[in-house]
Amino acid sequence: MELQQLRETAAAHFKADGFPTTKDERWRFTDVSRVANTEFSTEWKASNLKFKPLGDYYLVFENGKLSSEKSKIDGLPAGVKVGSIMDHLDPRLGQLSDSQSAFVAANTAGFTDGAFIEIADGVSLDSPIHLIYLADLDGAAFHVRNFISAGKASHVTVIEEYIGQPNTSYWSNAVTELFCADHSNVDHYKIQLESATAFHFQTVEAQLGENVLFSNHSFTLGAALGRNDIRGKLLGEGSEAICNGLYLLKDKQHFDTHLFMDHAVPRCNSHELYKGILDEKARAVFCGRILVQQDAQQTDAVQSNRNLLLSRGVKIHSLPQLEIYADDVKCTHGATVGELDEEALYYLQTRGIDPKQGHAMLTYAFANEVLDEVKSSAVKEYVGRLVQDWLE
Amino acid sequence: MALLDIKNLHANVAGNKILKGINLTINPGEVHAIMGPNGSGKSTLANVLAGNEIYEKTQGKIQFDGADLDDLAAHERARAGLFLAFQYPVEIAGISNMYFLKAAVNAVREHRGEEQLDAMDFLDLIEDKKQVVKIRDDLLGRAVNSGFSGGEKKRNEIFQMAMLEPKLGILDETDSGLDIDALRIVSDGVNALRTPDRSFLVITHYQRLLDYIVPDFVHVMVSGEIVKSGGKELALELENDGYASWAGEEGV
Repeated sequence: MELQQLRETAAAHFKADGFPTTKDERWRFTDVSRVANTEFSTEWKASNLKFKPLGDYYLVFENGKLSSEKSKIDGLPAGVKVGSIMDHLDPRLGQLSDSQSAFVAANTAGFTDGAFIEIADGVSLDSPIHLIYLADLDGAAFHVRNFISAGKASHVTVIEEYIGQPNTSYWSNAVTELFCADHSNVDHYKIQLESATAFHFQTVEAQLGENVLFSNHSFTLGAALGRNDIRGKLLGEGSEAICNGLYLLKDKQHFDTHLFMDHAVPRCNSHELYKGILDEKARAVFCGRILVQQDAQQTDAVQSNRNLLLSRGVKIHSLPQLEIYADDVKCTHGATVGELDEEALYYLQTRGIDPKQGHAMLTYAFANEVLDEVKSSAVKEYVGRLVQDWLE
Repeated sequence: MALLDIKNLHANVAGNKILKGINLTINPGEVHAIMGPNGSGKSTLANVLAGNEIYEKTQGKIQFDGADLDDLAAHERARAGLFLAFQYPVEIAGISNMYFLKAAVNAVREHRGEEQLDAMDFLDLIEDKKQVVKIRDDLLGRAVNSGFSGGEKKRNEIFQMAMLEPKLGILDETDSGLDIDALRIVSDGVNALRTPDRSFLVITHYQRLLDYIVPDFVHVMVSGEIVKSGGKELALELENDGYASWAGEEGV
């Protein structure tokens, strides 16, 4: 479909349906009227925010627009294309299985920029590609669209990082489409550090061919209100999708994670570990849906959502959903909500560690299980520090 | 001056009276053993000393190295040189043994006015102390006590004691669940830590441990009271006669 046509269809959908309300089952616990009732400007300015690259190659987006001056993509090996999505429109763009979502529709109708990454068959990129989105424009909306295509037997690591100026209010509305061809190995990270007064919504959808190893790690620290929709479609046999995440929420932050893993073919694995630490009056929603279609025999799906509550004022809605139509499968899910282990705190104290430090150590330990699974050492170290800072 | 001086100690757990007037004085360098049947209050005494807030001290006075223990929270007691080797060491997922030990050692060093150990000095200390109870390197990298066998947990307790170099080591049924080889390793470790100034309070149900860690004094505790004190020969007496005679006297 031509881009113009894609945009018009999406705009028509958005116009007809508008933003979801809490009457919509998928949005029951997340009220987006604050977004719906805000007029966002279309102004633009360059950003003053600082950033630290986590790889040799990076694209920097300033308030939704790519800055070629701040980006660095020289020295990319042959077979790797990285640039603005506006210069590289792939015919597969918009093949999302959830194109009806209002946020995706708004993005499709109005995206102004985003990253395009294409890795040719058999090419391995050692350094991560870091996509940095800087936001410091009050009252603006940023519709960023990313398209990532990993060729057959290619290897790539992509890090998306959203950085916001504190006390700035804006709406960040991103969509990332990933196409992972047979035997590819794709690690996708998202680090969300939006302003605590901003709105952040993103849909990430990965379509996996045969024998693909795909991982997505989402670290959520920012935004007043937001949601991640993370969707995996397992379309080829022998693939594995790992979708892990960590959300650290305080004040009145509300963050919603909706995972959807669609097992359409036999012999695929999907593993999901989501952990949350909530303080003050924070709210979290976790909905993990695993669909095992009739043909998807010998599926191995494991899902776990664990929450640590640091105050009595927090609230968490955890909704695991298994939908299984095949008979020879292994699927488990679990959800827990708890407080710090008093016995462990006492044990640390009897070794001279004061309660405040013990508290921080145990809270960090809780988060550490997710960090342990991170393959990229740059991400592991950086997010480890973010978690430590958050705890202080 | 006595290192530990307990006078008329009474303590409750969940409203139940467990300790009913304990008197005990431990001088520097002495090894005291407390023996007694299950439920006599031995572990309660250990935890009251360590500062577990689940246990409520209702009466009495405990002086440790010149300080009133009432004034010190659990971590301050540890820093002041009181160490409890747990009967059931707690598993802590997500914190490596090394990281935990470094935090503990530096907390104690800070209290003593000593410099914080950097990574190299800390590794040297580990190398030096791990010999005490033959701790394997892979246990150091693992999460605290997670997936450790019973014997490994107890060895880890003694290893921590070696690292923290306390003035008083309280061993709460350290022998429970140990086979004879593990018992020997743990006992050798404790004996290696004995110095003219360091004291120990060894709590045990069985005389067996005291064949390896030979005490200077033995106290028999029954129903929250010390009913008899004597030298190391008292342990042998108990081995032959059991606790029945004391329990009988009390009409339990």
